[in-house]
Amino acid sequence: MSESRKSKNITQAENACEDTKWADGKRLEKEWPGRAGSQAIRARNLQKKYKGFELSVPQLEVPKGFATALIGENGAGKTTLLNLLTGIRLDFKGEISYFEQQEKMSDSVQERIGYTGPGCYFLPHWTIGQVEEISSLLFTNFHREAFRTLCEDLGIDRKVTETVKKLSDGNRMKLMLAAVLARNTELLILDEPASPLDPLMRDKLCDMIREYLEQGAGERSVFFSTHNIADMENVTDYAIILEHGNIVEAGFVEDLKEKYILVKGEAEDAEKAREILFSISRSAYGFEGICLARNLDRLAGMDIATETPTLSQISVAVMKANTRLKL
Amino acid sequence: MVKLLQNSGVPIYQQIAEQLKTDILAGRLKEGEYLPSIRGLAKDLKISVITTMKAYEQLEAEGLVTASQGKGFYVNAQDSEMLREQHLRKVEDSLLEAIHAAEIAGMTDAELREMLGTLLDMKESQEDL
Repeated sequence: MSESRKSKNITQAENACEDTKWADGKRLEKEWPGRAGSQAIRARNLQKKYKGFELSVPQLEVPKGFATALIGENGAGKTTLLNLLTGIRLDFKGEISYFEQQEKMSDSVQERIGYTGPGCYFLPHWTIGQVEEISSLLFTNFHREAFRTLCEDLGIDRKVTETVKKLSDGNRMKLMLAAVLARNTELLILDEPASPLDPLMRDKLCDMIREYLEQGAGERSVFFSTHNIADMENVTDYAIILEHGNIVEAGFVEDLKEKYILVKGEAEDAEKAREILFSISRSAYGFEGICLARNLDRLAGMDIATETPTLSQISVAVMKANTRLKL
Repeated sequence: MVKLLQNSGVPIYQQIAEQLKTDILAGRLKEGEYLPSIRGLAKDLKISVITTMKAYEQLEAEGLVTASQGKGFYVNAQDSEMLREQHLRKVEDSLLEAIHAAEIAGMTDAELREMLGTLLDMKESQEDL
């Protein structure tokens, strides 16, 4: 990796830190007295280098009791980050701790975490019955009854003799979800759970995440990656946006919706607005863009309309702004 | 119960807060009663936990409910003075909205006052019947 790319990454990370409301215990306590909870995951100075790619995360916190989304383009490093956090990859620099007692990764920590991956970790020739058998051997907190009910709920109403390789991508994801939810865990780490699912099942997935959180009464957390932000928006409490191996924004969704404002205005003001807005798109009829709320004053005098942005709009704006930096 | 409109322009948390507030001020949610749990309501309304939490925090800031550690939010005693103030604020908001609409329609202040007078008279005469 070239020296210039590296230094650019560092400035970017610093900018993010300055701008971002980190889920840091102290700051949270001050700004969100009710939410000042502990974290499900805390990481410091994470570094993982590949040829041409470097994941560099000085600070990461996944708040306990909430659903956190990891958002980013393809190749932003989402899976790499999740692989470090789940212990799939151990060859990295930095520290990761889990749950309130800030434990290091261990068998007992693993037992409390449920994970689904982008591929399928069940061997192709296993039958659904064998998946149940093996899961109950691997995990003491696996409930066979719950697994069968979940399979039924999720519409994997196949015979137990059906092999994994014969299932569709969607059904394989459902099978992993069933196996994970049949365990009594405190943290779910889901790598792109929505991708292989149809719209109906995505809706069901959101319901299942909410139900998991509700049953935990604040003790359970979910951390999932997605590029289908719109589908997962109504279940996302905290968002972490990753861009080329760096966290460029992180915060509770309701905070982000106050930090950024969607602005629409006249075409003649577009040129002037471009310097002030965080990201902008223009057409013959006018401009539309995302503005940092604190910069809104600077648009005074323009004929504009404002709106609360959706998480998708914020994410796209943040991703665009940071992509441009590298060009 | 709570009805949410996704595209009304009013933030979801505000819609929840408003509807619960109406229930509290109308006495449908009584003093000491607990609001649904944050995560339970999020599940039922198919929204995120943080949105429900923000709605409850707004109600708390307005003094309508109190957070109790580990037990959730319960409805405060509503003293009549505060209740009246809440209603006054509602009247004020509605009037402001009317003023805004009048501006768009190009009405003068005098015309607006006259309209309000007429409406009050009409209401009075209806009540007299």
